[in-house]
Amino acid sequence: MTMEKNHVKDRLPDYLDNVLSQKEKNAVEQHLKECQVCRKELEELRILFKAMDEDHIEVPTERLKTNFEHALEREKNSMGKVVSITQEKTKSNWASNVLKVAASIALLVASFQMGGVFQKQKADENLLALQNESMQMKQTVMLSLMENQSASKRIQGVSYIEEFEDPDEAIIEALADRLLHDEHDNVRLTAFDALSKFTTSERVKEVFIQALENEKNPSIQIGIIQTLVQIQEKKAVGPMKKLLEQEDTQPFIKDQIKAGLPKII
Amino acid sequence: METLSDEMIMQKVAEGNLDLLKVLFDRHHQYVYNFLYKMSGDSMLSEDLTQDVFYKLIKYRSSYKNGSFLSWLFTIARNNLKTHFARNHKNHLSADVLDHEIIENQNEAQEEYSHLQSALNKLSDSDRELIILNRFDEVRYEELALIVGSTPGAVKTKVFRILKKLKEIYLENI
Repeated sequence: MTMEKNHVKDRLPDYLDNVLSQKEKNAVEQHLKECQVCRKELEELRILFKAMDEDHIEVPTERLKTNFEHALEREKNSMGKVVSITQEKTKSNWASNVLKVAASIALLVASFQMGGVFQKQKADENLLALQNESMQMKQTVMLSLMENQSASKRIQGVSYIEEFEDPDEAIIEALADRLLHDEHDNVRLTAFDALSKFTTSERVKEVFIQALENEKNPSIQIGIIQTLVQIQEKKAVGPMKKLLEQEDTQPFIKDQIKAGLPKII
Repeated sequence: METLSDEMIMQKVAEGNLDLLKVLFDRHHQYVYNFLYKMSGDSMLSEDLTQDVFYKLIKYRSSYKNGSFLSWLFTIARNNLKTHFARNHKNHLSADVLDHEIIENQNEAQEEYSHLQSALNKLSDSDRELIILNRFDEVRYEELALIVGSTPGAVKTKVFRILKKLKEIYLENI
C-alpha cells in the first residue's frame, strides 16, 4: 500500500519532458527502480510521446502564405492616409490639447471684448456724428424756414429755437433779422420771444435796443421794454426816453416806459 | 526582430506597423494549421480557417491588449473552428446538404490518418483540443488556461488524465 501511495504516475509526463527539478527527478528515478507498475506506465507513455514527436506535421500549401501577404498589402493600402492621421493624433498629448483649447478660448474672449470696446467707441462716434448731423439739419431747416415766403412757415422756423440749448451766431443773426426786418407782426413777435431767452448775449441786447427804436407794434414794444427793464440794460435808457418824447408813441407804451425807467436807474 | 517576443511584435502591429505581422505569421501559421488539421482532419478546411485566423489578426489588431499572444491566436482559431462546425451542423438539417456531406465525408475518409491521429479522433473534442494544443503546439499550461478559461493547475491535471486515456487508446490498437 505504501508503494501505491508513492506512485509517480502523475509526474511521468513532466519526467519525460525533462522539466522536473533535480531533486524531483531523483525521487522519481528512485521510485521507478522499486515500482514495476510505474515503470510499465513510463514505457507506455514513452511510446505515445515518441509517436507524437514523430507525428507527421502537416504543412499547409504555399497558397496560405501568398493569400496572407496579399491580404496584408490590401490592408496597408486601405489604411493609406488614415495612418498618418492616427500617428499625428498620438503625437499630440492631452496637455497640449488642453493648452490649445485654453488658448483658443482666451483668444475668443479677448477678441470679443476688444470688439465690444471698438464697437462702443464706434457707436459713440456714430451717435455724436448723428447728433451733430441732426442739429445741423435742424439749423438748416430752421434758417431756410425763416427765409420762407409764408409767414406761418417763418414762425415755425423761429419756433425751432426751442430745439437748441446753445444756438450759434448764425441762428441769433437769423432771429435778429426776423425781429428787425420781418414785415409780419406775428413773426417778429415769435422772434422776440425766442431771442428773449438769450438776453445774456450782448448781440441780443443790441438787437432789442435797435428794435425798440424801430418797432411800431405795441405788443412787441411792450415785450421789449419789459425785457430790457428786467435785465437793467442801461443802453436802453436813451431809446426809451426818445420813445417818450415821440408823439406817435402809444400812451400805454409811455406809461410802461415811465414805470420801467426808474428800475433801470 | 527574432529576439522580440510575440507580444512586443503584436504591440507594434497594433500601433500600425503591419509588416511585422509577417514575422508572427512565419512563427505561428504552421502550429495554427496543425491544430486545425488535427481537430478537423480536413486539410483544405484547415487551410481556409488558418487563413481566416490571420485575416482576423489584421482586422482586429488594434483590439490587442498586451495579453498572451499565443492565447489570443488560438482563441481565434478555436472560435473559427467552432463557428464552422456550428454552421455546418445547421446545414445538416437540409436533406440535400446531408447527402452532399455524406459524400464529402466518404472522400475525407480517404485521407490517410496516422495511427496516432485515429487515437486522437476517439477523444472528445475538448480533450483532443487540450492535448493538441499542449503536446503538438507547445502551448504552456498558463496560456492553455487562458484559452479554455481555467487555472494552470487544473489544466495540467486534465492534460495528464487525457494523456493516460490517449495512451490506452493508442496502445490498444497498435
